[in-house]
Amino acid sequence: MHITHHPVLKKDERKEIKFFFNDEPLKAKVGQSIAAALMANGIKKFGVSRKLHQSRGLFCASGRCYSCFLTVDGLDHVLSCSTLVEEGMEVYSNLSDPDVRRGKNEN
Amino acid sequence: MRTDLLIVGGGPAGLNAAYKAASYGLKTIIVDKWFSLGGQLRQQTQSYDHLPQHFAKLRGYKLADFLIDRLKPLDVTILEKHTLIGAYSDGSVGVTNEKDILPIDAKNVLITTGAMEEPDIFPGWTLPGVMTAGAAQILINRERVLPGKQALILGSNEFALEVAAQLHDCGIAIKGIVENRSELLCQNEKLIARISNAEIPIVLNGVIESAIGKGKVEEAYVNHNGNNALYDVDLICVAKGITPILEPFEVMNCDLIYRERLGGWLPEYYGNFETTNPSIYVAGNAAGITNMGGILLTGEIAAISAVESLNAASTVQIKEEKEYLWNELYRIEYNSVLEARLDVINELHNEKDAQLPPLVDSLNGRLING
Amino acid sequence: MDKSTIVCRCEEINIDEIESAINMGAHTFNDIKRLTRCGMGPCQAKFCMNLVRKIISEKTGQSLKDIKPPRMRVPLGVTRMSALASNKASSVASVFGESAEEGETDHEEEL
Repeated sequence: MHITHHPVLKKDERKEIKFFFNDEPLKAKVGQSIAAALMANGIKKFGVSRKLHQSRGLFCASGRCYSCFLTVDGLDHVLSCSTLVEEGMEVYSNLSDPDVRRGKNEN
Repeated sequence: MRTDLLIVGGGPAGLNAAYKAASYGLKTIIVDKWFSLGGQLRQQTQSYDHLPQHFAKLRGYKLADFLIDRLKPLDVTILEKHTLIGAYSDGSVGVTNEKDILPIDAKNVLITTGAMEEPDIFPGWTLPGVMTAGAAQILINRERVLPGKQALILGSNEFALEVAAQLHDCGIAIKGIVENRSELLCQNEKLIARISNAEIPIVLNGVIESAIGKGKVEEAYVNHNGNNALYDVDLICVAKGITPILEPFEVMNCDLIYRERLGGWLPEYYGNFETTNPSIYVAGNAAGITNMGGILLTGEIAAISAVESLNAASTVQIKEEKEYLWNELYRIEYNSVLEARLDVINELHNEKDAQLPPLVDSLNGRLING
Repeated sequence: MDKSTIVCRCEEINIDEIESAINMGAHTFNDIKRLTRCGMGPCQAKFCMNLVRKIISEKTGQSLKDIKPPRMRVPLGVTRMSALASNKASSVASVFGESAEEGETDHEEEL
């Protein structure tokens, strides 16, 4: 949920934009990180861990713990806490290791 | 790229150092891994009590604006979204913007990469909804997003209480501040009063036994004096203190030293804040966990050392600057921190048989004599 | 605490696995890394560093000041292969100076 009346900061006048998470259209504000935009939509589980497939989401918000990895516009393992959300961005959960043999290098 | 001073980390220490160095004519580059400068100040809505005389009392995010704005007329190149990646064998430093790697040939490098939050573990701590207190603070103050509705805070240092109060002010119900010791770590009376006025329960001798939930935290068991109680929470903020970020120093081949009172492992440094690798300096929380005044002042002292190494100011100017800065550090920094810091400096000077700067030496005496 | 509690978030190594490594003779973080992969995931031990040091201290009786952080290597964070392989002076070989140090060929001259 967005904070509309912050106790200290002035009114939030950031423009609203649209992005997609696992094909679902969501709203975000310009200048927000992808992770925060998901949290604002009530989404806490971003993906699952590699080995035990346990739920993972935002943990350090400082670009250090790598718990918030997402696939963004086709690029795997993007740190969603330190990447800004953009209009029309297509974001997917990282549910497994990327397939390095896909695409033009496939054989 | 060539420069007189490369600053890694655009938080309060780095920004303040850049201002000082560039004011003396040093060509300065700041690299920062984020898309905006200010470091951890950007989400601090509280103001600071322990600031040097030449700073006005400002809320953290306004202090960041001040530090950034006054660089504008100076020769400071800012590379946001650039990360230190490693050192080349010829001494230049590699930074990347995720597309290219840029080698920077700097006469001096100042590393002000700050500190990171320490985690604490319990079954379920990897569930979404468990995050560092710093992360929750970033969400409410920078992102303006509520991380949850009902929260537990694990830890009771000053930052834990500050974040608890700020989350409360944003409308999150704080169900408890859980501390495993028998007393609060925070000694700031004003802050403790705020917590008490907000009717936030403090659970001493308490531990979080486990966090449970499907895909995210939904409940947590807290053991208090041997009794387990179930809390209905969707947010657990871990605030167990901070420790200097080490990896830049490791790859720059700087020797490390352990000092519990400075937050754990940190780079060794001389009285001019130069590490054991010549021309690589350290300042801010990376040089030992301190208060905001200590962060700002050590940045400036390191900058003056870079100015001195390039003969960019007169001997008299340098002497005056150092005298003022060290005296301010003596006035502002907590005694236990300054003592530990001087201990690190003394030890390195002894080990390398290097003469202590007279100022630092006189502070040794002042601390001993109280 | 439950021994199945995760310590290393990235590689999902729990207390039991770390203690087993210590029982097998590990007494430094680097030993534990080699035996368990603890600290070898994307965060490169940034978060488990002090958790593991504490377990080593508790299990072996070594003082925390004697337990060093694990070896940290370049690149310091997750870095795209395309960035490493990108342009002119920034070859992988020159950034990974460490390999040259250990007696391997340093390609920097040729670039």
